[in-house]
Amino acid sequence: MSLTDGFGAGARFLPIGFRTLMRREILRYVRRPRNTFLPPLITNVLYFSVFGVILGERVGEIQGVSYILFLLPGLVVLGAISNSFENASFSIFHGRWNEYIQATTTSPISYTQMVLAYVVSSALRGVLIGVLIALVGAVFTPVTVEHPLYLIAFMAVITTLFAGFGVIGGLWARDFDYLTVMNQFILRPLVFFGGVFYSLEILPPLWTYVSLLNPMVYMVNGVRYGFLGAETVDVGPNSALVVLTVAAVVVVLIDIALFRRGYGLTE
Amino acid sequence: MAAIETDDLRKRYGDLRALKGVSLEVDEGEFFGLLGPNGAGKTTFINILVGLVRKSGGEARVFGYDVEDDYEEARDAIGLAPQEFNVDRFFPIEEVLVHKAGYHGVPKDVAKERAEEALRTVGIYDKRDTRFHWLSGGMKRRFMLARAMVTEPDLLILDEPTAGVDVQLRHDLWDIIKRMNEEGTTVLLTTHYIEEAERLCDRVAILDEGEVVEVSTPDELMGRGKDTVRVKLSKDIEEPPATLDGDYETRVEDGELVVETRNAGGTLAEVLRELDRAGHEVVDIEMSRTSLEEIFVDMTRSHEDVTRTQTTGDGQGDGA
Ligand SMILES: Nc1ncnc2c1ncn2[C@@H]1O[C@H](COP(=O)(O)OP(=O)(O)OP(=O)(O)O)[C@@H](O)[C@H]1O
Ligand SMILES: [Mg+2]
Repeated sequence: MSLTDGFGAGARFLPIGFRTLMRREILRYVRRPRNTFLPPLITNVLYFSVFGVILGERVGEIQGVSYILFLLPGLVVLGAISNSFENASFSIFHGRWNEYIQATTTSPISYTQMVLAYVVSSALRGVLIGVLIALVGAVFTPVTVEHPLYLIAFMAVITTLFAGFGVIGGLWARDFDYLTVMNQFILRPLVFFGGVFYSLEILPPLWTYVSLLNPMVYMVNGVRYGFLGAETVDVGPNSALVVLTVAAVVVVLIDIALFRRGYGLTE
Repeated sequence: MAAIETDDLRKRYGDLRALKGVSLEVDEGEFFGLLGPNGAGKTTFINILVGLVRKSGGEARVFGYDVEDDYEEARDAIGLAPQEFNVDRFFPIEEVLVHKAGYHGVPKDVAKERAEEALRTVGIYDKRDTRFHWLSGGMKRRFMLARAMVTEPDLLILDEPTAGVDVQLRHDLWDIIKRMNEEGTTVLLTTHYIEEAERLCDRVAILDEGEVVEVSTPDELMGRGKDTVRVKLSKDIEEPPATLDGDYETRVEDGELVVETRNAGGTLAEVLRELDRAGHEVVDIEMSRTSLEEIFVDMTRSHEDVTRTQTTGDGQGDGA
């Protein structure tokens, strides 16, 4: 597997235990491409066709770019964070449900490394899906990347943040229903009202303010800034990046504390 | 240094006290058995050592490492075959072993060699590309042992490793475990097959309702049992001949003489001599020895009686 071998070669300085868990986590989804890559591929082809091409004709330009181009960063964020979240929560919950996570939790990998392995591998899945969605978008419309460093930074931070949330969800869940609930009732609404499909400036003032309380707005904005540049975003990227980074670090620290306490993992 | 050392180890699940202060010491290189009826707390004890259960009190150390403060070192020493199957279902079994070894810091190429070796040792190398849940029940047990040994642990913990396997496989597994112990691995084994403990263990602890009732060698335990000698005489008798007054007990059952003794060899000669002298003709002799199983059942039952009287408040005895 070229992906993980490349990872292994570039990471010799990392502890073997951590690397192995990371490899296991990545192989789990890479080896099942029909589960991992096909669903977002199909969903996003549909999004781009229906919203971008068919509706986009009617909508016209939004903040100086075609609707389909405006949409693209939002769909990348949507795919990236939901996949990071789902991967981490599923991997941990499924392992708990079937108890095979015990092979990991009873091994001499430190709690910090365990958490980082789950978070980084899940974040990586989010990034891969994000790239896939951008590529799908590029089939429909020419895409530029105005600020690549911002794009990379935002993608890294938001996928880490949501992988971190996914770890909490995976530890907290008592049933498979919990995973569905978290995704459908928390994640989706935040994303849909987070400016993926519309610009905040089209909202009445009150709703613009309410929307600014939604953290998703800043993520979508940041990634949109990375792709399309300054004219297309409602709020600037710098403070958002700082806040999101702090949030990601805090969530990962919470993950580590939960592992240390054995929350959801020990009796 | 002790391989396992626990001091007043306690575990509560809500109101249930699963371990009520267990102090045990398992020496390095020892083959140690943990016996006890269902629900005695054996699995709880083991799971505290590996970090699947959090202790409510007391101390537990593995090769001197505290199981909570020095969890990495403690877990590094342990190879566990748990009672319940808990195997990664996304990967073929060989890869599961490679991963497990990797978690313990074994580099990938070495891990692969170890995985193949472990699968060969337990005799399921042919199945290496199969997923765990497609193995037969016996193969699953074999695999659990393979996974426990793939990290070359100093302490092998086997929680009912031969539950539900056929006689042949049980003997195979015994041979493997025994060999590992002879090569220096400390083994902690729980089992409900007394024969298993008798054959394998240097010492056993009997756990009942979260308390250690007894720690001793299987031989010592067997010594607690009695030999029973039944002597059929040509004519039925009413009561034991009066001349039989050695260090043994006699009675008559169905016209046959029954002698209970701690030392069948010495007693038998004496009894036969006395019978001969009294003019009885011996037709048949039958000898039986209390099994470890009976001793075990007896111990845990009497312990249960003691705790019951204690909880009702009319027994102030110390339970001895
Ligand atoms: N997670 C749990 N929550 C509540 N009670 C538990 C839990 N795990 C075990 N117990 C209780 O603790 C006691 C000890 O259980 P344990 O599994 O340690 O027994 P055991 O000696 O291994 O029994 P067996 O021989 O049946 O495997 C039992 O009464 C059991 O019901
Ligand atoms: Mg048990």
